[in-house]
Amino acid sequence: MNRGNGETDRRRRFGTLCESLRPDLLRFAWWLGRDRALAEDVVQESMLRAWKSFDSLTDESKAKAWLLTIVRREFARSFEKKRLELPDVDALVAAESAVLAAPGDARVGEMREAIFRLDADYREPLVLQVLMGYSTKEIAGMMGMQQGAVLTRLFRARAKLRQLLGLAPEAEA
Amino acid sequence: MITCLEFRRRVGAEPFTDDAEVAEHRQGCPVCARYQDELRAMDSLIQRALAVDPPAKAERVNAKGASRRRFFAIAASLVAGVAVGSILLVTAPRASVAREVMGHVTREAVESMARTAPLAPDAVAQVLGPDGMRLKPSAGIVTFAARCLFDGRVVPHLVVRTPEGPVTVLVLRHRSIGEPMHLDEQGYTGVVMPAPRGAIAVVGHDVADLDGVAKKVFDAVEFGG
Repeated sequence: MNRGNGETDRRRRFGTLCESLRPDLLRFAWWLGRDRALAEDVVQESMLRAWKSFDSLTDESKAKAWLLTIVRREFARSFEKKRLELPDVDALVAAESAVLAAPGDARVGEMREAIFRLDADYREPLVLQVLMGYSTKEIAGMMGMQQGAVLTRLFRARAKLRQLLGLAPEAEA
Repeated sequence: MITCLEFRRRVGAEPFTDDAEVAEHRQGCPVCARYQDELRAMDSLIQRALAVDPPAKAERVNAKGASRRRFFAIAASLVAGVAVGSILLVTAPRASVAREVMGHVTREAVESMARTAPLAPDAVAQVLGPDGMRLKPSAGIVTFAARCLFDGRVVPHLVVRTPEGPVTVLVLRHRSIGEPMHLDEQGYTGVVMPAPRGAIAVVGHDVADLDGVAKKVFDAVEFGG
């Protein structure tokens, strides 16, 4: 009886996490892969992996970072498994125009496309910092990098965005 | 004092950094200060640009479809309890802003309320900064701060621990209301108050004197231009 209640509680907790964090995971996966179908696949596979190892999550306040790490590993895995070729960015922009669209705010649309065109090395830490709210130290932990390297990538990401948007160029660090 | 180049390197990576050397340089160099302001404004735009609607499920049928549908069936059963609660909330006859506030607070409760460690001031500033706002320490101890998608916009979401209990604070600069709106449902009480720009919602669960707590939090918010 108790075991059954425990399992029910475990499922309920996992279900709550799925529901509350899925939108962010999908956004993150989409910004990683720039492809809606791929994002959906990656998040679904990630959820399955997360469910299997749910017991390893001892602190549920860290669930988001835990799931984001699973998503980025799953993305790398699927990239390797499917031997995905580096896509043509213009073709991706056209294919993902529905997500990129920002009706009523041209500046957001321009910025969204500029971020979309950034190399993954710059795009990923920017998403983790600005959208997900992680510190550079936390991002370094998630990406398995030195904090200094993350800072450099974030600096360059913003410099490239300024360049893509036609703003005044910034001196390289 | 750090050089202009070093200042720009640091704020280029972290526009909202609270680095003391950056702050000192900023005081004495108006050109760099303007540059940082420009970067902060750009980050606000980046934030809005990144907050895409969650990509819709692809309408595809393929060999892997069955396993995915199976996953959705599992996930659906897992979230059923939560979904029922959400539906009950959504169908209640209430003003939409109140409904959305309650829905967001209950959905995020697991993650946001689980955190009890005080956040560093820079973590809070990073969340409020893009909206040009600050929170004075008199509000209470902030244990959760994130920028959340709410009503299609990215809004600051805080959990503030007060002597009367923890409350969730949502800053809704895009929603204007004429007068305070009270919420009371399933143990949650709250109030959505008109603010100089938009509205601020304060919601608690079994919090004594919610109105008093809400006023204290509201008074601790500094609204920028």
